[in-house]
Amino acid sequence: MNRIAIQMLSFIVALLPVLSHSRNVASLEPLTRDEFARLRELLQPAEDELWRMIPWRLSVLEGQRTAAQQHKPIFIWAMDGHPLGCT
Amino acid sequence: MLDRASTFADPDIVKMLQDEFVAVAIDQAYQRRQQDAEGEFYRQIVRQSPRNNFENTTQGFYVATATGELLLFNNNRDPQKLRDLLRRKLAEFKRSAAASATVGALEADKLDARFNPRPPEGGLVVRVRAKVLDGYEPTEDAFKSIFQTALSRDNLWISKAEHEAMVRGSIPDALQKRIAQFHLVDNTRGEPPMWTPEEIRHLEMQLRGDQLRGSVRLATADGKRGFDAEMYGEIQVEGTTVRRWDLIVRGEFWGEGPFTRGAPAGRFPLAIAFSLADGSDTADAIPPQASRGWLQGYLR
Repeated sequence: MNRIAIQMLSFIVALLPVLSHSRNVASLEPLTRDEFARLRELLQPAEDELWRMIPWRLSVLEGQRTAAQQHKPIFIWAMDGHPLGCT
Repeated sequence: MLDRASTFADPDIVKMLQDEFVAVAIDQAYQRRQQDAEGEFYRQIVRQSPRNNFENTTQGFYVATATGELLLFNNNRDPQKLRDLLRRKLAEFKRSAAASATVGALEADKLDARFNPRPPEGGLVVRVRAKVLDGYEPTEDAFKSIFQTALSRDNLWISKAEHEAMVRGSIPDALQKRIAQFHLVDNTRGEPPMWTPEEIRHLEMQLRGDQLRGSVRLATADGKRGFDAEMYGEIQVEGTTVRRWDLIVRGEFWGEGPFTRGAPAGRFPLAIAFSLADGSDTADAIPPQASRGWLQGYLR
């Protein structure tokens, strides 16, 4: 196999992962304004989610100040990624 | 989102956190590293727990006094267990001298700039939410059900220059790439892998009047993860400010990451919504997940 053939084969092999999943973007159902409005509504968070009713603070120091003033213990929810926003 | 939909959906826990505790939510990757009063106070508390190696994650639930004395560490999400622990520790706290002690407020004399990112001045904060629309096998497992119906949350930050470009009617390339690389992800089951620049196979976003249309194709080199999608959005500009920007990206996603296991088999429909934040949600101030420790890289 000559060098050009090897290069072409390498190029095709490199493209295979993309081509294997390449049902064309254009073949997706068009995103109409009605569908946009429906999905926009669907992806709104519920107003009554209980965790949102908790007055979360984003700073441990702010929590310390409030705890000192109000004579309350501090509850810290510490996660990998922000628990109120990353996933 | 598992905790949001389980532990913190328990009415008794919510009521206790509203009335009896001062509730704090953090990404511990910042506090366990930052060299300022915020980080020092956090580490003072955590050092008393089994999570006292700050080279590793310190995630979990902590209860402490305002002087930094650890009262409880727990990493079990079972609502009943946490509810019982909180009740017991609250009773102990109320019986202790700490409940009536006079404690001074700690001052933040300096901020470690590496871990205190602020939204770009003159820019925009955009809420980003994703949802898997279909494709899961039916389940009666409560935790799986939470993941399958989850609505994820993240924020997109837009710089002042990009905001100004949007006012003039264009979406800068850097912003388009940031959206594709860091926000067109399936983060409904956990922290997702972001896309590399090379994995953006096709990307087009165009503003025409008050409408935005576009399409995107993302795929890993091994083809195991990807997203083919179309976009439609609407924008409203008043003077020098974008007042409304709503964008929906909807398409077919496939694959999963190490922390997002349990995706539907094959291709599945995923929708991602973008809308301007108005500051009414505490989470509006949270930096984008992809900017963690790398804000300049995120905003470039």
